[in-house]
Amino acid sequence: MISMYALMLIPLAIFFYLQLGLIRDTLLAITRMTVQLVLVGLYLKYIFQLNNPLVSLLWVTIMLVVANFSVLNKVGLNRRLFFWRSLAGVGGSTLFVSGWFILIAIRPDPIYDARYMIPIVGMILGNCLRSNVLSLERFYSGIRKNENEFTTYLLLGATLREATRPYLRDAIRTAVSPSIATIATMGIVSLPGMMTGQILGGALPTTAIKYQIGIMACIFTAMVVAAFMNILLSLPVAFDDHQRLRSDIFCNKT
Amino acid sequence: MIQFKNITLKVQHQILLEDAILHIAKGDKVVVRGKSGCGKSSLLKSMVGALPLEKGSIQVNDLVLSAKTVGHIRSQIAFIGQEPVLGAENVRDALLLPFTFKAHSETPPTNQQISELLDRLHLSNEILDKPSKRISGGEKQRIAILRALLLRKTIFLTDEITSALDPASRAAVMEELFRPEITLLSVSHDPEWINTCSRIIDINNTQLIEVEK
Repeated sequence: MISMYALMLIPLAIFFYLQLGLIRDTLLAITRMTVQLVLVGLYLKYIFQLNNPLVSLLWVTIMLVVANFSVLNKVGLNRRLFFWRSLAGVGGSTLFVSGWFILIAIRPDPIYDARYMIPIVGMILGNCLRSNVLSLERFYSGIRKNENEFTTYLLLGATLREATRPYLRDAIRTAVSPSIATIATMGIVSLPGMMTGQILGGALPTTAIKYQIGIMACIFTAMVVAAFMNILLSLPVAFDDHQRLRSDIFCNKT
Repeated sequence: MIQFKNITLKVQHQILLEDAILHIAKGDKVVVRGKSGCGKSSLLKSMVGALPLEKGSIQVNDLVLSAKTVGHIRSQIAFIGQEPVLGAENVRDALLLPFTFKAHSETPPTNQQISELLDRLHLSNEILDKPSKRISGGEKQRIAILRALLLRKTIFLTDEITSALDPASRAAVMEELFRPEITLLSVSHDPEWINTCSRIIDINNTQLIEVEK
């Protein structure tokens, strides 16, 4: 383990040489990661041992709430306005797709087996997080930067849905394009983490591939659904009754 | 036809208009003058519900501007700014854009209507296939006006639109916008435009003051 940390000295040396000012942040990030993973390892050990559906669901809820805060913080959106709506978007899509994967592909016994539920929700959620940050950011900054264009659409008779559609398209495209590229090169350029982990853990490559394809389909679906739902759900609170973008939807930014 | 009733307009904590009144009759050609930043453009924007009113109300054709009526009021008004946004990749798509919205989807214009209007506005048919980014500011303004005419708008709000036009185009634009059936509320510094308008309003000390011609 020490040797793995030792490897990190190389990037740190490069940061030092380039005077990037990233050393403190990197050390802090590594420390945080270590503490969080050790704690999660402990939690998960107990959660897996308990294997109680209520405890597992509670843990999943915590994951969703933290993910949701993280999305809103990164995009700089007003938490008070968007919290419940974006939680519904992220949570709804993650739970739906995770449920699909667990109930249809894995069918564990018992069905609520924490050993499957928690890692799968985590993997899907992690990916939704990124797509949501990208799409929400792109959507609202697109409208803000092109306010004249947006108003022009309204004046030409567009409804709010119609006037926001170009920005919605752009936002979803931005959020999913990297994933399409990743999917297209998978297996050649990149061997995904879950599959590598399974193979290292002793599974047959053919089995690992089956799960990988399944999880990729799930991740992609959840990402698109979450990005789309989140924007649609945010529309009623982001605009006032005259379809003007509310100025208080962003915090800390002017 | 258009009434600004005791409106107060505030932009970024600065009061631009306070308790201001303006009545415009059908077919009036009104020009608003004043120092830059005095609220001329904001006055136009408030009429289409793009800027909230601090106080007072705006009435267009018996409809008081509100959340319920804003859509209907916008459908009667054309807003042409200094640098109008076409909102599509090429000029033809920009002209047809409003007809992709539900509100106008049943009344798409014919090619003949478009050609006729292009002609009247001193634009050639070839412009239809040009990318929107490649046409000049003056051409953009005329395309925006053409689009509004295709939508049969009768109330025009224009903001300094002649500044980018050559004399021939300006004459063509003015001929279209100064037709009797059109009600015009404009902002301009152009002496010829101001002379052609039937009413002149100055913004002075947060008030709208009519100037005798």
